[in-house]
Amino acid sequence: MQGFDYTAATTVTQAVGAAGTGSAYLAGGTTLVDLMKLDVMGPSTVIDINALPLTAVTTDSAGLHIGALARMSDVAANTQVTSAFPVLSQALLASASPQIRNMASIGGNLLQRTRCDYFRDVTVSCNKRSPGSGCPAQTGANRGHAILGTSTSCAATHPSDLAVALTALGASVQLQSGSGTRQVALSDFYVEPGTTPNVENTLQAGELITGVLVPPLPWATNSSYLKIRDRQSYEFALSSAAIAVEMSGSTITAARVAVGGVGTVPWRLPAVEAALQGQTATVANFTTAAAKAVTGAKTLADNAFKVTLVQRAIIRALSELLGVS
Amino acid sequence: MSTSPIGSSTSRVDGVLKVTGGAKYAADNMLTNMAYGYLVTSTVGKGTISAMTTSGALASPGVLAVYTPFNPLKLYAYGGDENDEFTPPLQDKNVRYRGQVIGMVVAETFEQARDAAALVTATYSTQTPVTAMAKSASGSGTVSEVYNTSIVHHHAMEPHATVASWSGTHLTIYTATQGTPLVVSRLSHALGVSSANIHVVNPYVGGAFGGKWGNWAHTPLTAAAAQALGRPVKTVLTREQVFTVVGHRPNTSQTVSLTANSSGTISALKHIATVSKSNSSNFTENPASVSKSTYAAGSISTAQTPVSMDIPATTIMRAPGEANGSFALESAIDELAVALNMDPLALRQKNYAKTVPGGSTPWSSKHLAECYTTGAGAFGWSQRSAKPGQVTNGDWLVGLGMATAAYPAGRSASTLMVRLQNDGTAVVSGTGSDAGTGQATVFAILGAAALGIPVAQVSAELGDSTLPTAANAGGSGSTSSNGTAVNVAAQAAISALIQLAISNTSSPFHGKSASSVTYKNGNLTSGSTTISFGALLTKINVAGVQATGTSAKNTTSGYGFMSFGAIFCEVQVNKWTAEPRVTRLLAVMDAGTIVDAKTARSQIMGGMIMGIGQALLEGTILESDGRFANANLASYLVPVNADLPHIDVTFLNYPDTILNPIGMRGIGELGIVGAAGAVANAIYNATGKRVRDLPITLDKLL
Repeated sequence: MQGFDYTAATTVTQAVGAAGTGSAYLAGGTTLVDLMKLDVMGPSTVIDINALPLTAVTTDSAGLHIGALARMSDVAANTQVTSAFPVLSQALLASASPQIRNMASIGGNLLQRTRCDYFRDVTVSCNKRSPGSGCPAQTGANRGHAILGTSTSCAATHPSDLAVALTALGASVQLQSGSGTRQVALSDFYVEPGTTPNVENTLQAGELITGVLVPPLPWATNSSYLKIRDRQSYEFALSSAAIAVEMSGSTITAARVAVGGVGTVPWRLPAVEAALQGQTATVANFTTAAAKAVTGAKTLADNAFKVTLVQRAIIRALSELLGVS
Repeated sequence: MSTSPIGSSTSRVDGVLKVTGGAKYAADNMLTNMAYGYLVTSTVGKGTISAMTTSGALASPGVLAVYTPFNPLKLYAYGGDENDEFTPPLQDKNVRYRGQVIGMVVAETFEQARDAAALVTATYSTQTPVTAMAKSASGSGTVSEVYNTSIVHHHAMEPHATVASWSGTHLTIYTATQGTPLVVSRLSHALGVSSANIHVVNPYVGGAFGGKWGNWAHTPLTAAAAQALGRPVKTVLTREQVFTVVGHRPNTSQTVSLTANSSGTISALKHIATVSKSNSSNFTENPASVSKSTYAAGSISTAQTPVSMDIPATTIMRAPGEANGSFALESAIDELAVALNMDPLALRQKNYAKTVPGGSTPWSSKHLAECYTTGAGAFGWSQRSAKPGQVTNGDWLVGLGMATAAYPAGRSASTLMVRLQNDGTAVVSGTGSDAGTGQATVFAILGAAALGIPVAQVSAELGDSTLPTAANAGGSGSTSSNGTAVNVAAQAAISALIQLAISNTSSPFHGKSASSVTYKNGNLTSGSTTISFGALLTKINVAGVQATGTSAKNTTSGYGFMSFGAIFCEVQVNKWTAEPRVTRLLAVMDAGTIVDAKTARSQIMGGMIMGIGQALLEGTILESDGRFANANLASYLVPVNADLPHIDVTFLNYPDTILNPIGMRGIGELGIVGAAGAVANAIYNATGKRVRDLPITLDKLL
């Protein structure tokens, strides 16, 4: 672990005032502290933001507001969330372990780093950790790696389940820095690796996530999150599907679909959504729509199965949510 | 005490201490003026170290010393083999595998040592490591297939840790081990110190599974550093270091060929195994051995070929050989049943080994046939669809599978001490190790049975090299060996008590003949006088009376000694996403007299759960440069509670009195043998897909 300065802020203004290039905000610490111990991250200043008043979960005409410092377990159990957006609660409960969910914040969850084992081991190359050093995953152990949004520089998956569910719902993050506040849709927030996998999002230096806004979507009451993994708990997704469906009788009138575990960023699937719209809820129609999930997929030696798995995850999630088999 | 506690369901005697943090494990020892060691490991797979830079580390805050092959702590050859490495660390500049210990930093705090260790750099002259595993050649028969298993690791919950402290020429060392005598012998050689000057203390072990039989590099290094620095040193391995500094179960490629007639009688069984073997250790696994004793066959031939590789040590792990071998054998039996259109249980019953295969040697005690029928009945085996892929539960395909468990039983020499105390309690003590097995509880139960007093009045002392030398915890031999010695020692203690009672002038029995005094249920009686041993000792003002007893190694020949069992498994595999989930698991075990039903059940469950891990989750990916690609517990998956169904364990409880008077056999390994095969066979029954490569992950079933 590299040496660092520590400061604790009590207001957002104070926090962003202390931040700059090389600083890191500390919330639950469940990613940051791990990676600092591994020397993967080495911030010069750690700004403890746990005392900031950003834990509220409220609903108004703009939608559901989730404070960036709300803990995963609290949000998962919040009745505004469980009633209006079951997909969010399910995604949170499928994440990590109860102990981690009690500590980890919503803002931190959205910024957690990939679980790629090359990224986390400083004895090997990694373009995300050490730009230009190379990507051993391209020819190495890549069963867990992404098939969508990859480049020859990086194929690491984005690990957050919550971000997948929020992406399906068209959510935004609220950001604050010394130069003011702004709101960015998650679809614009995350950045595919390209040739600069070290750049993962559009946050500016020192900018802080203060909250998440989920716009109203009345039919998101009919939503779910399906996570497929080798182990039934405490593991990251091989593939996941966040879905919300509006029905009229047996006809799908609108759908939201995003997938995780297969993309370098949370991956919304407008083509699948469009293919479902207006269709009768049948497995055959789900299958046809799911086939559009993998357009442009690029596979590596060990992860080709994800092309099939992600489609099956979508079909299964729709089947289970809509009671169609 | 009219009812024997043997076979009762007794909670572990150290359970409260363990769950409240009161049990002191090796790393829990905090000594005055203690420094902290942190290991530096190699980042290439093979070669020699041409230079190491330690100036940054030495200048780092709190650093006391940096040891490397260029500035080593002197260690001598280990002498002999204990399933660990050939050579002690830092004595040469060769890199034999990636993750090998090439240095140790000692500092005032753990964090200072870790941070300084990150500043140590090495320059290597590298060679290409041998990391490719050979596949077993194909064979011929009614069925003949090749089965492959992965490198797997013990990963006890307690990582390896050593705390060493010298007083003059005398070393006291707290280190996680399956037997304190193993550490004494190893360190005596490595440090060049008389065994009499080494005191090993390790009363609690947080799991071992074979991984704490050998002594790994940190143990002699920590002892030597403590001596060199003149202050206590503690070294705890990180979880990542446990992957390479400690040995692992080798990967295997096995060809099993079975030739049978249409009624299922097997005329030939051939089991040929290729196993990886580290160039740093001597241990070679023998997976094919399981085929010599599980089924009758006209002819049985087995062989193994080690493949020397530049990888961390290969070592013993729970059922070494049998766990890998039984997966191949039990899968092949299932495949033969499919080929012959027979029920797989009926095929096993058809080839039942009534005597030790290959001759007429009888078994000391074998009730496997009852395991089969009892298990089949309780599990509902008759409901199994012979044709795979026929049973569904919603979108889940349901399958049933089974396998035979078999593991050798033995009895080695053990000496224990029993002490009777003036408060009416007794202590059973010896060097033996309770690595979470329940051995301490077994000591208490058997002590209580032998002395005729309640279990609550008997305590156990283990894990101290100054105690009488009991059997180490390995090879499922502890209870058979040490348990037998408890009785001998208890009888010796009773004799000593009677001698004291007739010789002490304050005793009511003073002057009587030994034969006139009888002991029963904690009381001495002569004529009309009866007094408890506690009251007697109090009356004569003696704190306690003790004696040792030795039970020799088993020398009875002419029998096959094994434990047996049948494992039944139900899996469900999702028809869309193909993840396999174990939904029911049942075992019926023929393992001799069960001393503690509760900890015995836990032992068998633990073995079966480790088998689920072997079957579905565990496997280290070895890269061509010798790096373990997934050497952390987020990427190397072990089962969690959510992966586990209720597990039903039944013991037949037939005493094996040819092995020892109480009839006890071992149960530490038995549960894992057959577990992976049962899971794989159930997956075939569910899906019609035969996966011959472990672990069986969903990508192999999509």
